[in-house]
Amino acid sequence: MLAEKYQDHIADLLARYPVKRSALLPLLNLAQKEEGYVSESAMKEIAEILDLTPPQVYETATFYTMFNMNPIGKFHVQICKSLMCGLVGSDPLIQWVQQRLGVGPGQTTSDRLFTLSVVECLGSCGTGPMMQVNDDYYERLSEERVGRIFDELKETGNSSLKSGPFMVPEPISR
Amino acid sequence: MAESNNQDLVTLTVDGMTTSVPQGTLVIEAARQVGVMIPHFCYHPKLTPDANCRMCLVEIEKLPRLQTSCSTKVAEGMVVKSNVPHVDEARKSVLEFILANHPLDCPVCDQGGRCDLQDFSHQYTPTTSRFTELKRVFPKEYFSPLIETQMNRCVQCMRCVRYCDQVMDVKALAPSGRGTLTEIKHFSAHELDCEFCGGCVQICPVGAITSRLSMYDFRPWMLKRTDTICTYCGDGCHITIQKKQDELIEVNSTQGVGRNNGDLCARGFFGYHASVHPDRIMHPLIKQQDGRFAQATWEEALELVAEKFQGIKTAFGGNAFGGLVTSRCTNEELYLFQKFMRGVLGSNRVDSSARFGHVNGTLPLLSVQGTHRWTATFEDIVDADALLLIGTNITETNPITGLKVKQAVKQGHAILVTMESLLPARGTISNITLLATHHLPVRPDHYHIAIVGLIKSVLDNGLVDPGLETRAPEFFRAIKAAIDSTSWAHIEEVSGVSREVFSQSAHAFSSSTRGMIIVGQGVLRSPRGAEMVTNLLDFLILTGRHGQPGCGLCPLAEENNDQGAIEMGATAEFLPGPIAIGHHDTRQALSKLWEVDLPQEPASSLMEMFRDAQAGQVKAMYIVGENPVESLPQTGKIKEALESLEFLVCQELFLTETAQLADVVLPACSYVEKDGTFTNTEGMVQPVRQAIDPIGESRPDWEIFSALSVVMDQPMEYGEARDIFKEIRSVIPGYGLVGPVATRPTPKVDVVQQYLQEGFAHGLATRYVCTQDQPASDTPFLLASTQSLFHSGKFSTRSKGLLQIQSSGAIMLNPSDAKKLGIASGDSVCVSNAHGAVTTIARVLNRIPPDVACFPEHFDQDIRCLFELHIDKESHVPYSKLTWVRLERVEKGDV
Repeated sequence: MLAEKYQDHIADLLARYPVKRSALLPLLNLAQKEEGYVSESAMKEIAEILDLTPPQVYETATFYTMFNMNPIGKFHVQICKSLMCGLVGSDPLIQWVQQRLGVGPGQTTSDRLFTLSVVECLGSCGTGPMMQVNDDYYERLSEERVGRIFDELKETGNSSLKSGPFMVPEPISR
Repeated sequence: MAESNNQDLVTLTVDGMTTSVPQGTLVIEAARQVGVMIPHFCYHPKLTPDANCRMCLVEIEKLPRLQTSCSTKVAEGMVVKSNVPHVDEARKSVLEFILANHPLDCPVCDQGGRCDLQDFSHQYTPTTSRFTELKRVFPKEYFSPLIETQMNRCVQCMRCVRYCDQVMDVKALAPSGRGTLTEIKHFSAHELDCEFCGGCVQICPVGAITSRLSMYDFRPWMLKRTDTICTYCGDGCHITIQKKQDELIEVNSTQGVGRNNGDLCARGFFGYHASVHPDRIMHPLIKQQDGRFAQATWEEALELVAEKFQGIKTAFGGNAFGGLVTSRCTNEELYLFQKFMRGVLGSNRVDSSARFGHVNGTLPLLSVQGTHRWTATFEDIVDADALLLIGTNITETNPITGLKVKQAVKQGHAILVTMESLLPARGTISNITLLATHHLPVRPDHYHIAIVGLIKSVLDNGLVDPGLETRAPEFFRAIKAAIDSTSWAHIEEVSGVSREVFSQSAHAFSSSTRGMIIVGQGVLRSPRGAEMVTNLLDFLILTGRHGQPGCGLCPLAEENNDQGAIEMGATAEFLPGPIAIGHHDTRQALSKLWEVDLPQEPASSLMEMFRDAQAGQVKAMYIVGENPVESLPQTGKIKEALESLEFLVCQELFLTETAQLADVVLPACSYVEKDGTFTNTEGMVQPVRQAIDPIGESRPDWEIFSALSVVMDQPMEYGEARDIFKEIRSVIPGYGLVGPVATRPTPKVDVVQQYLQEGFAHGLATRYVCTQDQPASDTPFLLASTQSLFHSGKFSTRSKGLLQIQSSGAIMLNPSDAKKLGIASGDSVCVSNAHGAVTTIARVLNRIPPDVACFPEHFDQDIRCLFELHIDKESHVPYSKLTWVRLERVEKGDV
């Protein structure tokens, strides 16, 4: 239960807004952080905290694509499919990842480790193709690099190839 | 028109026609007034503009681009063009987008033939589309037992979602997802759980949301409409019954029509099948020697009744008859019933179901202000700036009056003070206490002391009307003295509400200019009901709100014609008018009109009749549409009383427990099979019209009274219900002037004056005395028998639609109590006290207050045995809605 576990944090969130309802997105984020997705019980609880009905919470949660409405694997792999990454080869990369993991977009591997999502621009256009796994960016991807990343994640839960919050694009060489 | 009136008007031109409309009017509404219909989906006059469908585009001179007429307000000199080619082009494009995803399933769509999209498509679009992409397809999901969604047809106008939120305050519908793939859902994949008002079905411009009760049964052009009035509560909603041949297909209501303005509740929208239940009595029945009923002809039955009645009248006199009639009857029938009882049988023992509570409202109104009706109307609720709701879970008892309150608060920003046992917790149905500015959570048996607290706040905080003390010094001093005898400490301790909250509420009410008090069953059907209403009238007088325009005390009628029953003289203490039974001139006039001598014996009310029946003084009873054996607890010994009668006639729709005791049962028509009028809770007389032919051999009640009088050789003959209404108008001059708004009677100055001078002293010695009913330690829970939103009396439990929402009773209790007792929703619970023990199912609800348990009165067959019967000494109202019980969890194996 969120209310018990994050009592102070929720009180702090509620104090930030003149209207209770405004804390809906922060609370949905909290719920997603807690369970990896926004569960029905979390939505009901948030409704109660904010004095809303569960359908009102559900409505908001489903509007935003970054809220997961179903349980996800340990690693949420979000590969950019927008134009910039597309120009430098994200399409074949996505195909390759699908084969490698054996799942399509929106699906989770049977070992519950990887969930694949294909997403719009993550704002790292200078270093494509790129993907985000949980909170980390992985840039200038190739099949080989992605393979290594998956292996490392599987073995250690971490990968040395992550580039942190952002990477500065290199000047164009003429 | 005077210059000053013109200031608020704005003149504009729509398609070359010039019109003046009030400032703030939307262009789409202004256009409608000059006969220009601008196509739209998302706009609805009841909802705030959303401008999401883009269908209502118009050109407005001097404004760039086309504008949405549903969200643009008129301005002086505006020139609006709706019929120019490029506006047409724009609308065509919008339609093309909408139709890109709309399936071509009109032939199987229930909306086909009355669909906005169909009409506009005919008007605007070519038969081809530039879109070659596949249409979106939503997987079919089960939505609810009564409401069906077909999301492929949805045009995403969000009218249903906005209606559910803005008008109903239920918020049960959620548009999930985004863009084209937006889909109307409840909560995830859960089936819809809401008020089932049917508003979403009615407001959907296409066939995306439809009623399952009539799915695929009809085409709109096959339906024959009948405009009539709903029978399920005192609100008196306009309903349109739609039938195919003689089959009831659906009920709806039109925006802008009736007291409900097109809004309905679950009972009105889904409850219409009660009338055509297969258990309806089809023929007159006569009880045989062996105690079984045999089918009879009308002639046999009427002759038997006439013969028995004559015999008893000759042997014992008119006073040996008792008559009880249901307030679900029309005014004409109620009038004729009391005329039959008083004129033909010669008995003053006449009563109706208004006795169960409504008289507790009307008697004090009559004695304090000289008028038995509301001095305000539904419109005044909407315009009020302060509303005080006492003892009324208005959403469940009078849902449409509740909507007026919601509108006043949400749109008019009225201050709402609720004194109610419900806690402000959100649930699947709306909760009026959530909208309250000040909520006084008071246990159902503590309304009296809480009202005293409110009055004490007025006195202690100097909120008394400044002129009152000089105008009515005795009244002021006496009330103050009576109130002073109760201390704040006592009030706070018993009611559980702090002195501060009382003060805030009293301040809020007395600072208003248009303040209304609405009282519900919690007051009217509780012991000391009439006293509480009188005290509240004192409160109105003290705050100076009494007699002011738009102010007043409004008791809510439970049954559709409770108000009419009193006005037609179908209660013991009144002749038609209502005029006191002893009023000499009226008796003279009625004697002359009816050509009989009115009986001289003192009137006796419902409970006195049963008492006298058991004592052998009442020999025969005529019970019309009432079922006292079931509506009163066994401790009242009603069954024993009826069994001791020599002759009992029941006129009924169904063979109820009471009817089973009868010697003759006469089959009567329900409200959909007869003509007449109903008077709603605010005093609006509205026409009831026959929609279908009588079921079986049943006949309208008035026709039966009339026929019986003919057989008894004292004919009261009428050709149709309207003839009776004419007679009513001759007895009560001006009765039922038909208009769109109820008349607002004003308090009679002389009666109020008389009350302020000496009338107040009547009962003053007791009505402010706070008594306290302490629970015994072994029965700590206060059990209240309450009304559910989904039912009305027992009649609605014959409706297949409503039974799908609620088909059985459950004992509702607070989560903290449930936890203490180890009870969860769905567990078996034993409810017991000294009178017995009953096992039922538990339902844990946040809104139920601690130490209280509620049970829906419609399913109280078993649990009724736990209640005691108390009779009000003054108003003779039988109270049996509260009792003390203990609750224990029952293990599954023990059941």
